Amino acid sequence: MRLRLVYATLTGLVLAGIVHVAAILAIPRLAETDAVSRARSSESLDHPQAIYAVATGDAPAPQEVWLPIPDPAVAVGVCAYDLSDGPMRVSARTGSLALSLAAHGRQGAFYAVTDQAAVRGALDLVILTRAQYDQALADDDDNEPSRDVRIVAPEGRGFVVVRVIAGLPSQREAANAAVKAVSCTTDAPADEPNKPAGR
Amino acid sequence: MKLARPGRDARLPAPGRPTADPVHRPVTPGGVGRLVIRFARKSGTPLLALYALVLGAVLGLGSADWATRGGYPFGGVRIGAWTAWPRAGALTADPYTRAVNARRGEVPLAVGEGLLLTAAEDDEGRTLDAACTYSVAGAVPPARAWTLTVAGRGPRDPARPHIRDGFTSTEILRQQNGRFVIVVAPEVEAGNWLPSPRAEGPMRLALRLYDTPAAANAASLDRGAVPSITRKGCAP
Repeated sequence: MRLRLVYATLTGLVLAGIVHVAAILAIPRLAETDAVSRARSSESLDHPQAIYAVATGDAPAPQEVWLPIPDPAVAVGVCAYDLSDGPMRVSARTGSLALSLAAHGRQGAFYAVTDQAAVRGALDLVILTRAQYDQALADDDDNEPSRDVRIVAPEGRGFVVVRVIAGLPSQREAANAAVKAVSCTTDAPADEPNKPAGR
Repeated sequence: MKLARPGRDARLPAPGRPTADPVHRPVTPGGVGRLVIRFARKSGTPLLALYALVLGAVLGLGSADWATRGGYPFGGVRIGAWTAWPRAGALTADPYTRAVNARRGEVPLAVGEGLLLTAAEDDEGRTLDAACTYSVAGAVPPARAWTLTVAGRGPRDPARPHIRDGFTSTEILRQQNGRFVIVVAPEVEAGNWLPSPRAEGPMRLALRLYDTPAAANAASLDRGAVPSITRKGCAP
């Protein structure tokens, strides 16, 4: 009887190991409070949803923050995308404040760029699926090369994080405004309805 | 039922085997184990199977919850008193880091974006205490901007005046050679004073480097490249 109990305990421990590994792998998929799920409410906006606005003179930092340990000097905004609606275009104009864009999927960040990579003060990031990327390459005009930075996303859903650093308290208002000034639009597949007729 | 039989038969000579009991009694932790054994003897295989399943579920889920509850369990690079988390936001992050990020709703810094370093202990390995005065001094790895903040381990004491949470690289006062000293203390100090978040209890420091080449090779940073954390004294 004691031997069988030992067997049962060992079986239980092996099961515990399997359950542990399965739970760890399942948490990012099942989580409802993760960044991708929470960012989804910003999908309909054409500018980033401010998830952390730095405190300015009168206005304290907002309460509805879901970042666990936010940086008090960095304004953060998110733009969620769903590539089934079309490629996502993020356009930022660089200013005096340091700005960075990072594209996140459920697995983690797959691309990040700062405003030092901007061409003539503009940073254009287009996030697309592999098929949309091939389409964009095929549509490219040889005489008028596109200046977009094209990033192929590993999955259809995710979000782009905009971070603007306010080095001084007097720059905080400008940092909050700089996050709002970035535009996140879904590239309408404008030429696609014409395609079948054209060919 | 037949499977339960041997169990019953084994129970019959039970008065004759008191010598066997003390052998396994010390093995089981306390009375719970003894209770389980007695209970398992009375019934048979189905109960043992149930016991194995419950044990697997409770231990498996409990350990998964425990491992992903607080900070990242591993993936950190230790540099002096600081721990750098270069892979926290990368696609190559380990499953535990991903699970922690998902549970907390964290948006970690991507590799091209910056690097997060945290410190929960001073240079001598003592836990950072809000009642003590620390000098955080030295230099930081090359970065376009950095911030040093008091973070984590419970909420800020609302009774204490909220002056600042941290310093940025722009607003800090520096020495002539470019190095700096930040004093983390509960009472007012001269120079770069960073107030402790509460009167006592553990606290944590976060150093965020933005747009830094150090994010790509955090392992190559050495102690001299990050600020030292020295305890100056503690309030009684």
